[in-house]
Formats: sequence, C-alpha cells, structure tokens
Amino acid sequence: MTVFAHAGHWAAQLAYLAPLVLLVAMIIVGRIRDRREHRHEITINGEDH
Amino acid sequence: MPTWLFSWAAAAVLVVSFVALAFMWPRPRLEEARFRPLPDWIGRPLTSRAVEIACGAIGLGLLLIVLWAGLFGSSTAVTNIVPTFVYVAFWLGFVLLSVVFGDVFRAFNPWRAGGCAVGFLFRGGAVEPLEYPRRLGRWPAALAIVGFVWLEVGSSSGDKPEVIATAVGVYSTITWVGMALYGVEAWTRYGEGFSVYFNLFSRLSVFERRGRQIGIRPFLSGLAQLERAPGTVAVVIVMIGTVTFDGLSAGPGWQDVLQPVVEWLRDRGMGPQGALELSYAVSLLAVILLIAGFYWLGVAGAASVDRRHSARELAGRFVHSLVPIALAYAAAHYVSLLVFQGQALAYLASDPAGFGWNLFGTATWSINYGVVGAEAFWYIQLGLVLAGHLAALVLAHDRALVVYDDARLATRSQYWMLAIMVGFTALALWLLSEASKG
Repeated sequence: MTVFAHAGHWAAQLAYLAPLVLLVAMIIVGRIRDRREHRHEITINGEDH
Repeated sequence: MPTWLFSWAAAAVLVVSFVALAFMWPRPRLEEARFRPLPDWIGRPLTSRAVEIACGAIGLGLLLIVLWAGLFGSSTAVTNIVPTFVYVAFWLGFVLLSVVFGDVFRAFNPWRAGGCAVGFLFRGGAVEPLEYPRRLGRWPAALAIVGFVWLEVGSSSGDKPEVIATAVGVYSTITWVGMALYGVEAWTRYGEGFSVYFNLFSRLSVFERRGRQIGIRPFLSGLAQLERAPGTVAVVIVMIGTVTFDGLSAGPGWQDVLQPVVEWLRDRGMGPQGALELSYAVSLLAVILLIAGFYWLGVAGAASVDRRHSARELAGRFVHSLVPIALAYAAAHYVSLLVFQGQALAYLASDPAGFGWNLFGTATWSINYGVVGAEAFWYIQLGLVLAGHLAALVLAHDRALVVYDDARLATRSQYWMLAIMVGFTALALWLLSEASKG
C-alpha cells in the first residue's frame, strides 16, 4: 500500500500542522472549562436563592 | 534543520505577538482615516490631468503591444514577450508597485483609460450608465482572478502567446461592456478583477491619493478603511486559494493526486488535454473552497464567543486582515519568478515579438541565476510569510476592539483568528517546502 509505504513522509508533513492542532485544542479546552465554571456559578447562585 | 521546525517557530512568534497585542494595544488605532498631505509641488503634478492622460496612454499602448505581439509574433513562449510581460511584469510587478507606491495601477489601467477616452469623445450623446447592482459587489472581480489563474496554471496552452493575447482581447471586451453598462468608475471599483486585486494590495502602502492630494497614512490603516461589499471575502479567499493551488500543483505529489481524476475522465470518453484541463479547473475550485472553509471555521469559532455577531458578519468585517496574508503568499511564492524571469524583460523588450530585432541593444542579454542563492530565498520567503501574518494579526486585533465593546471578549474572539493565522502560516511554509522539492 503506497499510503503506508510513505508513512514516514506523511508523518513529517503532519508536523507542520502540530502548532495549529495544539492551539485549537487549547481553545476548545478553554471553552469547555469556561462553560463548566459558568454552569457551576449558576448552580451555586441557584442554591443561594 | 527540518523545514517544519520553521513552522513551529513562526507559530511561536505569532502567539507571543498575540499576547503582546492584548496588553500593549488596548484601543483601536487603524480605523480612523488619518492622512497627512505631502507638499503641493509633489501632489499636484502627479495628480494632474496631463500625467493621468500620459499614464493611461502608456497602459493602452502596452495593451496594444501585447495583442500585436501575441497574435502576430513568435508562438514560442521564450522568444515572445507576452507570457513574461503578462505573468511576471503585470501580474507580479504591479503587486510590488502597489504595495510600495499605492494604487498606481489605477493610473496605468488600460481599460479605465480606454473607457475614459470613449466617454470623453462621446460626452455629448452619452447615455447615463445603469446603477451598479449592489448585490453583485466584487463577485465579477473574483471570477476574473480565478479565470486568469486557471489560464496561467490550469490551461495546457496558457503559456502560448496567441492564447494569452486572445484571452486579453476577450477580457478587454467584457470589461468595456461592463464599463459601458455601469460606468467606468463603478466597474473599475467593483467589477474589473485587476483593479480590485491591485487596489487591495495598494492599501498596504503608506501612500494615498485623495482628490488632487497625495499624502501619507498610518501603515495598515488603508485596509481598515476597506469598504464592505458583497464578494469581498470571495476575492480575498481567491487571492490566497489561487496561490495555494499554484504551490500545490508545483509539488512532487500533485501528479499522483491528479492522475486518478484524469484517468476517470478519460474513461468517460474525454480527450487527454480536456481531461487534464478540467481536472485542474475542478481542483483549483476545490482548493479555493477549502481555504474558504478554513476561514469560515475560524470566524464561526469567533462568532461563538459572542452571539450578537454572526459568522457571516464577522467574515466580512475581518476579511481585510487576510490581505497581508494574500500578499505574503504571493510574494513568498513568486519572489524567485520575479527576480529571475523578470530579468528576461530586458532582452524581450528589444525583440518583443521574436522577429530578431534589437531595439534597445539588449537582445543578447541573459538571465543571471546567481543573483540570489537558494538559502537566501528561503529566508526571504520565511520573512515575508511571517511579516504578512503579523500584519494580519494586528489588523484583526484592531478590528476586534471596534466590533466588541468588551476588551476581554475581543481577545477571546481573537483566539480563533490566531488559529487562522497559525494555520495559514503552516500552510504557506509547507507549500514553499513542497515547491522546492517539485
């Protein structure tokens, strides 16, 4: 299989994408954490009332 | 050193710059149309009617030379000036001139000059032009750029002087019909592909013309003043997508990707040339759509930060920040072509049609390939890519401060624009490294 035979070549090509993948992952994790904190605040405020 | 490491380093520079902007650029600085006029003894002569007529006449003269040399001269690309003039001097040279001196193409634009001349001759009996349809916006310009790049890269006969001259003739006819219908200024501003293309790049220049004055404006502020019109996103995406396609098709793996498509078309009864040209056209459109999709993902991410602004709105409001990226792509990809093939103009000018003339005594000159080394080129390209993306980051940050009333929201929305910039940087450097292997 040509695709697998050139795996080394493709892996090196994918290295270009690594910073973008890392950045997008950080943004998504940040968003998830923000939402979780927001939900947590709503729960606490709800309990206060 | 592996070339992908440069991509990582460039991404790191962008991230550090992003953080620095968040702290050191708290208010918008580019949105205000500031302008400092140069002394009248500079501005007045340059904007005089005589200079305008002279520049227009030069543009028209060059258009006629291209038509004459292409249709009646040598049919070999290397001995006829037409391919080098159109693809190097015109297409690349005016990008450089626009970025340095401002919108100089407007003065030399042969179609505008021709339209103005006809308008002047028939000023007594002229019919009022139709109002330019606002919905059409800059879409005709986007189509013109796609058509031009397909001719250059996708057509198997795009380097033939007679084919280029015919295409120039067809485009001239369409342009003058557009000007006759909607007026010279409206068609030049929105519909004429090259005017729109060079005007976008000229907004990176610090020089600006206002009426009879020439003045200086803050760097990048010309782009912040870009008028929003339908099709503007399409033009800028096409500017990046076409260079991306050119880079991809010059890479070593391109033929492996294209071959199955060509064979599939040939199995359905298509001739070899038709199958190749159609597959190039389809893949050119596919690459443009991929670039559009990537930008759309970024603005959709930014829109998710604050639901008051839709992705569609943000796509239009931030598109000016992609122009320095389009310049970085074009400059990095074509700098070697401009430096090397640009030298051919010296000897081709002496014998434009390949008739064996020696008008300026330069016909025996040749290209000096040792003028810049391969390593120097790589660093020049790297510098251009990085500078273009940094400028884009500054423009996007400045616009975000206007769009969002909350600085925190503005910064959060820009995480996604940063991702777009990092993605485009990685793509640019990958393309350059692939093209160098091709």
